[in-house]
Amino acid sequence: MKHASIVAVALASALAAGCASKKGFEQPGYAYGCPIGDAKVASMDDLVKLKVVMEGSRTTVVPTEMRCSRSGDLIRIDANLNNDSRSVKRIAYKFRWIDREGMRAWEEEAWKPLLIYNNANHLINTVAPTEKAADFRLILRSQE
Amino acid sequence: MSAALRMRRLGLPALLAALALAAGCAKETTRYGDARGVETVTNEFGSTDLQMIAESMARSMLKAPAIVSGNLPIVTVQEVRNKTSEYIDTRAITDSIRAELQKGGKVRFAVDASGMTQQTDEIKRQQNEYYNREQSVEKGQMVGAEYRLEGNITSIVKRVEDIKDVYYKVNLQLWNVRNGLLEWSDEKEIRKTTTRG
Repeated sequence: MKHASIVAVALASALAAGCASKKGFEQPGYAYGCPIGDAKVASMDDLVKLKVVMEGSRTTVVPTEMRCSRSGDLIRIDANLNNDSRSVKRIAYKFRWIDREGMRAWEEEAWKPLLIYNNANHLINTVAPTEKAADFRLILRSQE
Repeated sequence: MSAALRMRRLGLPALLAALALAAGCAKETTRYGDARGVETVTNEFGSTDLQMIAESMARSMLKAPAIVSGNLPIVTVQEVRNKTSEYIDTRAITDSIRAELQKGGKVRFAVDASGMTQQTDEIKRQQNEYYNREQSVEKGQMVGAEYRLEGNITSIVKRVEDIKDVYYKVNLQLWNVRNGLLEWSDEKEIRKTTTRG
């Protein structure tokens, strides 16, 4: 019995070690460089679901990839938006900045209009306006 | 004249009168809108353009090595020259950029050329005999900027029958005052097309 539990613990440790070294999840509390807090994020899709919010008219344009890094003490974000439809899509986006306490770290940004060609990707990038911004949400809406 | 024809002849002027009355009495409504929403009322330079340029430039400047590595560098804002064919208050662009950077706490701003008269007038006023000498500011205490921010806004406008296309390009530069080196520069492009009909 004792032997079995040792094996189980060893297996669990090996599994945990395997997960910890998975690319994009090296740092606890971060996925692909983006802050995730206590949220369970196991893939890029999970990260996108956590960080993207639709407001107003929903759009079919979705981020397929999102990565974060730091520029000094500011968060830098790259988000790849994909339009897999057969028509040009017009959307608007903005970022919402959140501090460590979950409060707004910055005033509401202006909506930025964007045109994305059919079957195309468009990379948007930004940097946090203040070092108080510890987390963010990408807000999307359709402009059709 | 048949009754039907008489009715038709009477009906047309009555309809026109009703329409004129309705137009004259059209109710005007005023509502508050989203100051940060996408504005597409006309093709001319608008609030969304101003907000996008200011935000994009301020965020880009935050990534500049001179700002990242510097210890609260001091910047003075110079002119953004309007090289477009329309009237644009370029001061509004630099004011918005300055407000965003100042709020971010990464940059300090020194008084610029346009505010210099008010600044020196206030210093002179405090040198006046009516002020307490110990609490008044002294001459020669102002701090010079390490960097100066300047730029241009240009546009290309094309019209073909029912299509009007406007392309704006804003270029900003951050110059090192001491050695004259260009420390940062970035551009923001905006295209707007209006079609009629």
